[in-house]
Amino acid sequence: MLSTRNTHASLRWLGKQLFNREDPGAFFDPLLAVLNPMWVRGFVPARLLEVTDETADTRSFRLRPSPRWKGFRAGQHINIILEADGVRHHRTFTVASAPRQWDTDSTITLTVKRHPGGRMTNWMHDHLTPGTIVGISQAFGDFDLPEADVPLLYIAGGSGITPVLSHLMTLADRDFRAPVTLLYYVRTQADVIGAEILYALAARWPALTLHVYRTEEEGKTAFLNESHLDTVPGLRARQVYLCGPKGLMDLAGDLLLSFGIKDNQIQTTFFSAPSAVPADTPLGGAVTFGRSDKTVDAEGDAPLLEIAEAADLKPAFGCRMGICHQCSCRKTEGTVVNRLTGKASGPGEETIQLCISVPQGPVTVDL
Amino acid sequence: MTQQLTQQQLDELANDLDAIRDEVRADLGERDARYIRRIIRLHRTLEVGGRVLMPFGFIPPVFVAGVASLGLAKIIENMEIGHNVMHGQYDWMNDPSLHSQTYEWDTVCTGDSWRQTHNYEHHTYTNVIGKDRDYGYAVLRLSDDEKWHPLHLLQFINYVMLTVFFQWGVGLHELESERIRRREIKLSDKKGFLKDFFRKGGRQAFKDYVFFPLLTFPVFPIVLAGNVCANLIRNLWSSTVIFCGHFTEDAETFTEASIEGESRGHWYLRQLTGSSNFTGSKWVHILSGHLSHQIEHHVFPDIPAHRYREIAPRVEAICHKYGLKYNTGSFGKQYWTVLKRIGHYSLPDRVRMKLEAQAA
Repeated sequence: MLSTRNTHASLRWLGKQLFNREDPGAFFDPLLAVLNPMWVRGFVPARLLEVTDETADTRSFRLRPSPRWKGFRAGQHINIILEADGVRHHRTFTVASAPRQWDTDSTITLTVKRHPGGRMTNWMHDHLTPGTIVGISQAFGDFDLPEADVPLLYIAGGSGITPVLSHLMTLADRDFRAPVTLLYYVRTQADVIGAEILYALAARWPALTLHVYRTEEEGKTAFLNESHLDTVPGLRARQVYLCGPKGLMDLAGDLLLSFGIKDNQIQTTFFSAPSAVPADTPLGGAVTFGRSDKTVDAEGDAPLLEIAEAADLKPAFGCRMGICHQCSCRKTEGTVVNRLTGKASGPGEETIQLCISVPQGPVTVDL
Repeated sequence: MTQQLTQQQLDELANDLDAIRDEVRADLGERDARYIRRIIRLHRTLEVGGRVLMPFGFIPPVFVAGVASLGLAKIIENMEIGHNVMHGQYDWMNDPSLHSQTYEWDTVCTGDSWRQTHNYEHHTYTNVIGKDRDYGYAVLRLSDDEKWHPLHLLQFINYVMLTVFFQWGVGLHELESERIRRREIKLSDKKGFLKDFFRKGGRQAFKDYVFFPLLTFPVFPIVLAGNVCANLIRNLWSSTVIFCGHFTEDAETFTEASIEGESRGHWYLRQLTGSSNFTGSKWVHILSGHLSHQIEHHVFPDIPAHRYREIAPRVEAICHKYGLKYNTGSFGKQYWTVLKRIGHYSLPDRVRMKLEAQAA
């Protein structure tokens, strides 16, 4: 997904013979990175142009991807590749800008909130400065706009507003005529992300009704409840988009059902990066083998290699004592504890040794 | 011979070494990433330089420069990048181009075959006669655990052949030709391996002996000769470095019985006493892929190799603490003991013992 291979098949075959790799173009990356980091082939490079403060803990990063980037639809996400302390990290963010911005000046904006205890969101705030080159993936996700002008309801919380911003700007541009209501839940008025854009849209685009609920300022009644939904005219006919913290999403889902809205009317999307499990989480947990589409429950300090074998999978292995790395594979989600060092991993995607990795909470492995 | 350590001492030994490993692991970061990227940049520069210079090899100094450049590129790629990356030394960087299980190196042996025979078999069963097939590569007799045979008299020729064609020897290692000869396995059992071997070997030969010479057609004999020389230099150097790592005079061997149900401490002991280092300048270390620190490498195969130089004094101190020999010496001295060992064990046991008695 990250390497771009748009070269001719025979050229690619030759490249494979000469450079012993599936992505021969990337062979020269170490040299290209010195000449011009925007020329590398191993991933799509993007130059950070500008960092702006949205709120006290949220910043927007405006990026110019290399021309190889294929663009995106409103509501889609990208993975961003960052290198912190020698380690490559992948994190998923929603593009907060509208596709029109990409069409006009070839830039996109990511809006990132500091995640309490989160490693990379804080790192991005503290270390990313204009001029830095980061890697990005092609866009993905299907939190798509409706094709026809049907009435819409958006329910967003905190930084879950980012795909909604992209949607609303795009809808306003296309002069969307059906009613659009946004219920936006924030802690205080100062936590409203994209405030300028939202209020400007509400002022110039008559279809939009904007309600901002401040949960810390207005007290209990500001949390999503039936009375909020009562204010939405023609609720049952609306198509609903949800994006926010899990608590809000669950609550919204239940309420909407009680209002007679069907599941197929509701679209939800990814909200935030997975967070690390608390250190005192017991070992074991639900282990999902992504490629084989299998999930098993593991208990105690059984390593993933044994768990996989017990589930009738046949992963490659060697020494079974953490030396030879024959069993190394990708963990896509979850925390594992290294048996040799006793240290817990991060929650994101990384390479682990199956024979000495013990799950701590739910884990997904690419097996 | 191996010091007899008690189980308690072995456990302490394991704890002492684990402490070093944990400390280095916790410290891995920016510095290590920068190091390996610099080495990779150097490799790309030398490889491009060598390929560009080679067609102008009709000017003798340019030929020498081209061969040196490409030879060094292959050495650095095999020793300091490929071998170490495939050990998982840089897996923590989470960079797919430096991932141990998918890296493919610039030599005949496939990455998969190497990971099986070297990372797993050799590093797990180090110097266990009968289980570690790297011990003499099944063509050399290097200890009296193996019975003498008159053909061993000629093993010096085997050695020269092995070192000249080292990349092909390593590539064919997994074939286990000695077991096929003994009819323990059939050639057809190795069909999958042979397919991969021919694909990768063909690819390597195509690149160096067909593609680049043809690309520079009017001067193809020069380019062909230059590429042969570059491969030869790499073969000689890498085989010599590897031989100095386990076949020196005092490097110990072990029996299969001695490793039954072995503890982590005993595994460490085997790595310490079965390996040998050699000394040299910074560039000798880099070009050997830090296998000049074979002892540290065997104890900590998945720690970035440029760290071995830094932790060597502490590993040596641990050896002294437990009364173990820390086998090191100059490159020349260590290599001489390798040649002596190959020579000695080519002789019938009676003659060899007489010689050894005389020398003592």
